[in-house]
Amino acid sequence: MSGYRLENGGRIDRSRPVEFSFDGHSYQGFAGDTLASALLANGISLFGRSFKYHRPRGIMAAGSEEPNALISVDRGAGRFTPNLRATGVEIHAGLNAFSQNRWPSLKRDFGAINDRLGMFFPAGFYNKTFMWPRSFWEKLYEPAIRKMAGLGDAPTQEDPDIYASTYAHCDLLIVGAGPAGIDAALEAMGSNKRIILIDEQDELGGGALADPALWPWLERSRKALIDAPNVTILTRTTAFGYYHDNFIGAVQRLTDHMPDNSDSPREKLWRVRAGEVVLAQGAIERPLVFDGNDTPGVMLSSAAKVFANRYGVAVGTLVALMTAHDSGWHDVFALAKAGVGIKAIIDVRTEVSSALLDEANRLGINVHLNHSVTGVNGRHRVTSMQICNNADYVGARIDCDTLLMAGGWTPSVHLWSHSKGSLAWRDDIGAYVPDQPNENVRCVGACSGGWDFGSGVIVDVLPTPKDQSRIKAFVDFQNDVTAKDIKLAVREGFRSIEHIKRYTTNGMATDQGKTSNLNGLQIASTALAKPVTDIGLTSFRPPYTPQTFGAFAGHAKGALFQPTRTTNIDGWAAENGAVFELVAQWRRARYFPRAGEDMHAAVNRECVAVRSSVGIFDASTLGKIEVVGPDAAEFLNRMYTNPWKALEPGRCRYGLLLKEDGFITDDGVSARLAPDRFHLTTTTGGAARVLNMMEDYLQTEWPDLDVWLTSTTEQYAVIALQGPNARKLLEPLVEGIDLSADAFPHMAIREGTICGIPTRLFRVSFTGELGFEINVPTAYGRALWEHLMAEGAKFDITPYGTEAMHVLRAEKGFIIVGQDTDGTITPFDAGLDWAVGKKKPDFVGKRSMARPDIVAPGRKQLVGLLTDDPNVVLEEGAQIVADPRQPIPMTMIGHVTSSYWSETLGRSIAFALVAGGHEKMGGTLHIPMPGKTHEAKVSGMVFYDAEGARLHV
Amino acid sequence: MSDALFRNEPVSSTPYVADGVSISLAAPLKRYSLRARTADALETVLNAKVPQKIGATEGGIACLGPDEWLLRTPADTAMPTGAGLPVAITDISERSICLVLEGPRAAELLMTGCPLDLDNFAVGRATRTIYETVEIIIIREGEDRFHVEVWRSFAAWLWTAFTAAASH
Amino acid sequence: MILIHCPYCDEKRPEIEFANAGQAHVARPLDPSSQSDEEWEAYLFIRANPRGRHHERWRHVHGCGRFFNAVRDTVTDKFETTYKAGEPRR
Ligand SMILES: [Zn+2]
Repeated sequence: MSGYRLENGGRIDRSRPVEFSFDGHSYQGFAGDTLASALLANGISLFGRSFKYHRPRGIMAAGSEEPNALISVDRGAGRFTPNLRATGVEIHAGLNAFSQNRWPSLKRDFGAINDRLGMFFPAGFYNKTFMWPRSFWEKLYEPAIRKMAGLGDAPTQEDPDIYASTYAHCDLLIVGAGPAGIDAALEAMGSNKRIILIDEQDELGGGALADPALWPWLERSRKALIDAPNVTILTRTTAFGYYHDNFIGAVQRLTDHMPDNSDSPREKLWRVRAGEVVLAQGAIERPLVFDGNDTPGVMLSSAAKVFANRYGVAVGTLVALMTAHDSGWHDVFALAKAGVGIKAIIDVRTEVSSALLDEANRLGINVHLNHSVTGVNGRHRVTSMQICNNADYVGARIDCDTLLMAGGWTPSVHLWSHSKGSLAWRDDIGAYVPDQPNENVRCVGACSGGWDFGSGVIVDVLPTPKDQSRIKAFVDFQNDVTAKDIKLAVREGFRSIEHIKRYTTNGMATDQGKTSNLNGLQIASTALAKPVTDIGLTSFRPPYTPQTFGAFAGHAKGALFQPTRTTNIDGWAAENGAVFELVAQWRRARYFPRAGEDMHAAVNRECVAVRSSVGIFDASTLGKIEVVGPDAAEFLNRMYTNPWKALEPGRCRYGLLLKEDGFITDDGVSARLAPDRFHLTTTTGGAARVLNMMEDYLQTEWPDLDVWLTSTTEQYAVIALQGPNARKLLEPLVEGIDLSADAFPHMAIREGTICGIPTRLFRVSFTGELGFEINVPTAYGRALWEHLMAEGAKFDITPYGTEAMHVLRAEKGFIIVGQDTDGTITPFDAGLDWAVGKKKPDFVGKRSMARPDIVAPGRKQLVGLLTDDPNVVLEEGAQIVADPRQPIPMTMIGHVTSSYWSETLGRSIAFALVAGGHEKMGGTLHIPMPGKTHEAKVSGMVFYDAEGARLHV
Repeated sequence: MSDALFRNEPVSSTPYVADGVSISLAAPLKRYSLRARTADALETVLNAKVPQKIGATEGGIACLGPDEWLLRTPADTAMPTGAGLPVAITDISERSICLVLEGPRAAELLMTGCPLDLDNFAVGRATRTIYETVEIIIIREGEDRFHVEVWRSFAAWLWTAFTAAASH
Repeated sequence: MILIHCPYCDEKRPEIEFANAGQAHVARPLDPSSQSDEEWEAYLFIRANPRGRHHERWRHVHGCGRFFNAVRDTVTDKFETTYKAGEPRR
């Protein structure tokens, strides 16, 4: 034996040494080692500091249940992962790992003072102490506690890794590839079922990997499964959650075990839908609860066997066993066979089978029945232990460097519980086992409670002559919860395990109590003198083990964070320096600054250009719905507030849409193309919502109507040409449409061609100027835009963005639904009662307009605001008061909804929602803003060309 | 000016070729949304066979819902307007583009973000569904060939998502 | 992500293709103008919030586009049945 590496055995590749680093020191292991096995082989026993008391901790387990040895791995810039279990990290050349929660070093940790002050940190300590005042908690207590009590450091850089993701479907999903899972796969393999076999380890085998006698079988089985075309094997894959309808989430770790991994995905999220699920997750060994059971060198006996047989590592040179279960005996027999020195077996039971005793005798191992460990000596590593006879408390000291614990087994029912399968208590094994399924799922092997590990007894704290209130017997190793804490919780009146869990934090660490839940339950049950089944059961929730945020984010970052919708003309805007804004999911040009211009200057120039010559605007994002069928007009008549039946083909109408509660939800100009065909427009953000609402009424309230709705938002690119020169620019380009004022009046639509492209040409205006909106099939949008830019050069045509569009429409008193309304505004509140058909017997929202609270006085109404100082532009969202001298807090009577500088008018303009606003015309209101309270007069909302002379030309 | 020069497509016209799958932009198509209470009502208007069952396709017509069909045709065929009849025929030729996924990994690529079981999605079947958060229509044109219809404004995102997923 | 049976497509489809559309069988009164304030309030605002069996509307919005009715258990999140709009309450 060289160091702690056994001369023979294990599945490691001794021909491939691997150099790696831990806490800055270089070590050597072999391919196939985990960080835990490699460091144990190097004689390392100290792996970390505990969460609360900063106690030195070593390896306790060999698998994903490990509560102590949490480490960080640094894979270079931005690739920093904290809180990994050393037992699950495969070593590779260049692996750079660090211990956590210690300062300045693992061996000399300042925070260990907490351990000496342990009596001051009872259960509920944080809740009891750091309660008041609130600001102290946020600024003082929490940062200090986080610094002292913690896990690894959160990464500070953006994660540069790639994460893949997929859905998958199978007839049979098997979680866990130990003997039971492999058997289930072999059994189903011959069918034509699609099978997925998942295991969290790097190779198939589970518990069989620590049992060399099973290796020939394992190799045969592995080959058979790999060769089967209907079996997909996913190793290094953790099924972290089990959701409704046999939907299982799993993360496959693809590259962390490899030295160079920057180009391909680091992990892959599998979203699996399975016909049937077989859970073969095995069982987890339980620690025993005694004073000093967290000392480095104290570990699960099954883990010692795994380290010896799978990794060829002796966990110690003088190994003792404290057991309550036959399985511990078998483990140390296996260790002895592998060449590990066994010092003694201490069994809490008074009797064990003669077969075990004979074997111990044959191997020359001292046996102490009816004894318990009552103390452990050594700080960074066990040096010896105290044992005593349970009957008379006569004790002895035994030298050892490793103490194994075998406290029985807990079936892994985590995923079963996620799926809401019920559990049944089994006294004989002292554990909950799967009972009634809630999905098409079954458990096989040890996770169903079936195993051949022999039998045992279930104890709570091991018998001890010591004062129970002075010992540190850990139950939850990761959260530093002791048996004493649980008993204290019971003394303080907690009765349900759910409450005891939250008060003590038992089972609430990142390991979700894999090794502590049952011990906690058992101790609480004894303290309460009630059967375990009477105090409840805590829930398991996903994830089974912690997963990276990256795996859940998948592709959804950077360009793929979420879809950004772009119009056909977007590329031109980008190439021509547009500043963009997001409107719903759309990217829209906000303004087009020229060299040296800020937003203000650009918007002023764009507005003036529209009013004086012609502006061009990309209106493609407006929602469009084609309404077709014999009952089209009848349908629109029921949906919108105004009458539609008499609208002639070729004409347009402003439509105002309410929800059934009477409040404005959308608006837009719509055209009648034919008696049975309408082209509706909606707001950019409202397109999907309006279509859904109309479909709802059509399908479920008026299914008798012969009319159908089709979204045509993306069928057309829409270019608005607005300004006194718009017609002059268009006329030579359009065929088949007479553009003269008489033949094509305001609020009309014509079909023809422009530059040879078929078009639906609207004569409409959201600016108050002579205007057209040119609808062409989307693919031609950019070509037409560029053509119009070239042809419009003689009119100094100016592209304008959404900001200028907002100013221009505000000058004309046009509202924007969602900006000037907030879902509680009626047509009357908005000054749009002209758009309500008074004679219509019914339309969506009509009845609500007579609701008592809607006809009551004092409602907020939309008005114009003109500041006394014309140069002051109010802040949108600014609150409005009637009397600025009133005491604070003042009564707010409304707020500013839209506010701009109008270059055309040479002053600021604004809209506001003001309580009883319509009655306040001409009155003065006050708007407190940072530094000064401004005065403004209530006015009408049309600030420019009130008679509409500029439109009808 | 030729039509090809006039058109502006949201994704590259150069196919993306990865191991086992290629992604390419289909040539422009004429598309019509066809709506009626029954397939028979449409057959009368179109003088063509219209599939009855949701998901079925026939002669370029896919049945997407109980009263909704999608007609895709390469040529600029003359279409009746259905004026005055209890049907709705709407030109949606440019509402979407079509991405063609082809190769032995085509289904696998689509399943990276589409939750349907495409192993059990027969050749000739069509459906509206979703890729992550983006609505698409998929048509299985062959064992190894899918047409994916996507609204134009989402096409660039979908192209990026497909090419990213296909690259590994 | 659950599977929901669409009564129009007649197959189970993934939840993300669907949108919930509130309580089922709340019919719009044929003549809203004849409704008293109390009746109209009940129609507009008053909804059930049962623990257990609940009648809901769903829309297969990213599928066939149809609204339909469903009986879902609000405790288990299991769908008992789904049926077409206009069919009698189950
Ligand atoms: Zn459906």
